[in-house]
Amino acid sequence: MVITIDGIKCQAHKGEYILDIAKRNNIHIPTLCHSDALPGQGNCRLCIVEVIEKGRKKVVTSCIFPVTGEIEVVTNSEKIRGIRKTLIRLLSARAPKNEYIDKLRQEYNIPPETRFKTDDNENCILCGLCVRACEEMGIYAISTVNRGITKKVSTPFDEASDVCIGCGVCAYVCPTSAIKVLDEGGKRHLWNKTFELMKCVKCGEYITTREHFEYIRKKIAAEGTEIIEPLCDKCKKKTLGENMAQTYK
Amino acid sequence: MNRNVKRTVLICCGPGCLSNQGMDVYEEFKTKILISGLDVDLRSAVETENACVTDTLHPGIKTDLETMVSPAVKATGCQGLCEMGPLVRIEPDSIFYTKVKVSDVTEIIEKTLMENRVVERLLYKDPVQGRKVRAREEAEFYKSQLKVALRNVGEIDPESLDDYIERDGYRALKIVLSQKTSEDVLSEIEKSGLRGRGGAGFPTGRKWRQCARTGNYPKYVICNGDEGDPGAFMDRSIMEGDPHSVIEGMIIGAYAVGSHEGFMYIRDEYFLAIQNMTKALEQARREGFLGKNILGSGFDFDIQIVRGGGAFVCGESTALMASIEGKVGEPRAKYIRSVEKGLWGKPTVLNNVETWANVPVIINKGADWFCSIGTERSKGTKVFSLVGKVRNTGLIEVPMGVTLRRIIFDIGGGIAGGRKFKAVQTGGPSGGCIPESLLDLKVDFDTLDEAGSMMGSGGMIVMDDRTCMVDVARYYLNFLSEESCGKCVPCREGIRRMLEILNDICEGRGRQGDIELLAELGETVREASLCGLGKTAPNPVLTTIKYFKDEYLAHIEDKTCPAGVCKNLTTYYIDKTLCKSCGLCKKNCPSEAIEEKLEGYFINLLKCIKCGSCMNACRFGAVKILAGIMRKL
Ligand code: SF4
Ligand code: SF4
Ligand code: SF4
Ligand code: FES
Repeated sequence: MVITIDGIKCQAHKGEYILDIAKRNNIHIPTLCHSDALPGQGNCRLCIVEVIEKGRKKVVTSCIFPVTGEIEVVTNSEKIRGIRKTLIRLLSARAPKNEYIDKLRQEYNIPPETRFKTDDNENCILCGLCVRACEEMGIYAISTVNRGITKKVSTPFDEASDVCIGCGVCAYVCPTSAIKVLDEGGKRHLWNKTFELMKCVKCGEYITTREHFEYIRKKIAAEGTEIIEPLCDKCKKKTLGENMAQTYK
Repeated sequence: MNRNVKRTVLICCGPGCLSNQGMDVYEEFKTKILISGLDVDLRSAVETENACVTDTLHPGIKTDLETMVSPAVKATGCQGLCEMGPLVRIEPDSIFYTKVKVSDVTEIIEKTLMENRVVERLLYKDPVQGRKVRAREEAEFYKSQLKVALRNVGEIDPESLDDYIERDGYRALKIVLSQKTSEDVLSEIEKSGLRGRGGAGFPTGRKWRQCARTGNYPKYVICNGDEGDPGAFMDRSIMEGDPHSVIEGMIIGAYAVGSHEGFMYIRDEYFLAIQNMTKALEQARREGFLGKNILGSGFDFDIQIVRGGGAFVCGESTALMASIEGKVGEPRAKYIRSVEKGLWGKPTVLNNVETWANVPVIINKGADWFCSIGTERSKGTKVFSLVGKVRNTGLIEVPMGVTLRRIIFDIGGGIAGGRKFKAVQTGGPSGGCIPESLLDLKVDFDTLDEAGSMMGSGGMIVMDDRTCMVDVARYYLNFLSEESCGKCVPCREGIRRMLEILNDICEGRGRQGDIELLAELGETVREASLCGLGKTAPNPVLTTIKYFKDEYLAHIEDKTCPAGVCKNLTTYYIDKTLCKSCGLCKKNCPSEAIEEKLEGYFINLLKCIKCGSCMNACRFGAVKILAGIMRKL
């Protein structure tokens, strides 16, 4: 079927999300909580658009709105811009000093926040991606705690989690870089816990935490594949290259 | 009064009366009548009086009569007039006693049950008519009501299946299973125009049809008994007072959509509701109304109770389903409808308690009958819990389309303490506040929406002139800020900032532009939030701005709270020209802030704690709140 986004005709499958169709057609819709790897969050609402169906307009969230009919989509109407601006203002009041949010604020010509009490140290916008990523790994070390305006992401009772493996996937998916992974002196500090970092057996570069490495090793062993050695990415590639060269000699 | 008819003493043990020792009154009646010698006395008294009658009757009937004349004592669900509880009724004599204490029981037994005399002192004084009434039906509170969903609540012993069956219980189910196809049921419910009583008012028949249509199995039906609104007890009263109605409604719904498994989600605090419902489910199973091969029809269906954790947001349908699935009770986007993918991704019909309770009546009396009640687009009746500053607080049910004025001034008996009406909030914490000028609005789903409020599940809170509307908005937003699940940005951050502004305004830090900013934030929260909680959360703020803007301005510009509620913005003084030097204010002041001088009474502002007791006490309106202009001088 064909839907129209901002006047452009786009091919679409039934059930596909508006955001994905727009992306494919190079139509930009701002997002924060969306990740292709972990779709369906729908929390930040930045990606709202207007959908016109049977003459009726409604505001929908494009990253989770599945198309079922030949609709018309407007991604940038005055109404949408207005709401989006207010949303960005709210985000910026929450995390005023966050680089990413501040860039958004400037992009939308919103003056720096003066009406609300702000906390310069806040960076998390509670998109929930980190929690999803950790769950997806099968670890469940962090979760959102509390509800309403006191909600936050944390380990159980804010204590060092006994299941966290220090892989840093949470930090990697965070759109605002709110989770700080601190690596120093062969140690990694993350979520109130200190991990020992492992070295690459070839070059001696730090690769990841021992827990993370063990976790991967176990997983791979369970799949019956060859046991891996602790190697950094570079050396891994190099070994692979050497092996290949050997084979094709 | 005919003593040959079995009498029943109905003691209200609904939520309101229970909190006033209704249960003790019930126990006292039971002990005094059924266990103690009074029972014997009572029977013999009756027997002697009826001796001539019984003598001429067949001996078998005589024993029947003996048991018949012994009064039955029943603890019922909420009878409605909670304000005056505990309530006691004696039927069929139509005697209605209010505020009955344990110590009154003996007198009622001796005078009313044994001597046929009315205990005048315990009769209800109708505030509208200004006189005492004997029968409940004479009271204004009951006159304008029409009980459909509540038809059995307060009339039967909720623990007795026989009581329910005696009042047409499970008749609808029998008709449906023996004579009707699921299509018949669907079209009957569609024709009735029944709309969901839990909030949004979605047509029930359409919902059922959509679910019946999908070929995906299994299908589920759910009863939402979460009722998170503070102060609301509609659903609770039905579950406690007439559990079988809900069960029967669910079985009929399940039959219509083709479901074999149902869930009853009840909030954990509703201990009695859970208990009565559990018992009722057991009874229904035992009698073959639930379970395999119901009444020999070949249709299987059973219901399981799920106890809810009690978060307000769990009343939201998708959050409730998540909660049943054992996940965190957070809502999800409703772009895919629950009737297609609901509980565990399967087609699901979810209705609230009141909606389900309406179903058996519609089948019994027909869609045409149901349609004849209500307005063009809202059919039937609606249950409300009427609370706040009215004389008669309680549980009521009225035909759709009755005016707010009728509800507040006739049923509610007007404003308590002879004060003035200011606003009524409908629809629970995220409903809007409706001003006096709209009191003639006909209450139905659409008119309330248009006024910026909503039907919600049926909370109705009446406010008098001592209420500060800015403070009211702040109160509800504060509640919602704790109850929002915090998942999406507009709701979580928007409510937080709106609350911050309202706190500022109430504490005297309001700024120019705050009203506009509140409106702008409110609009975004409404448009962009994910679930119903966020979409409606700004209502209290937006409606108070719309209808009571001058109060906001007084707070922000004059730094005055006209109602004398926001303490930082209130200064009391005594108007010398009105003061009659009676000294009542001084007597009532808890902090000895009122001094008597030669020229009259004065308030010592250093000692005043701004409680307003003096203002409430003064009969001449001499205690006033310093208005903005004067403050500036
Ligand atoms: S830490 Fe980052 S990824 Fe996690 S919720 Fe906050 S903003 Fe999202
Ligand atoms: S609107 Fe509020 S309650 Fe609903 S999902 Fe969003 S944050 Fe949660
Ligand atoms: S407001 Fe209260 S404390 Fe102040 S003068 Fe009146 S009664 Fe006394
Ligand atoms: S990207 Fe769609 S809601 Fe965040």
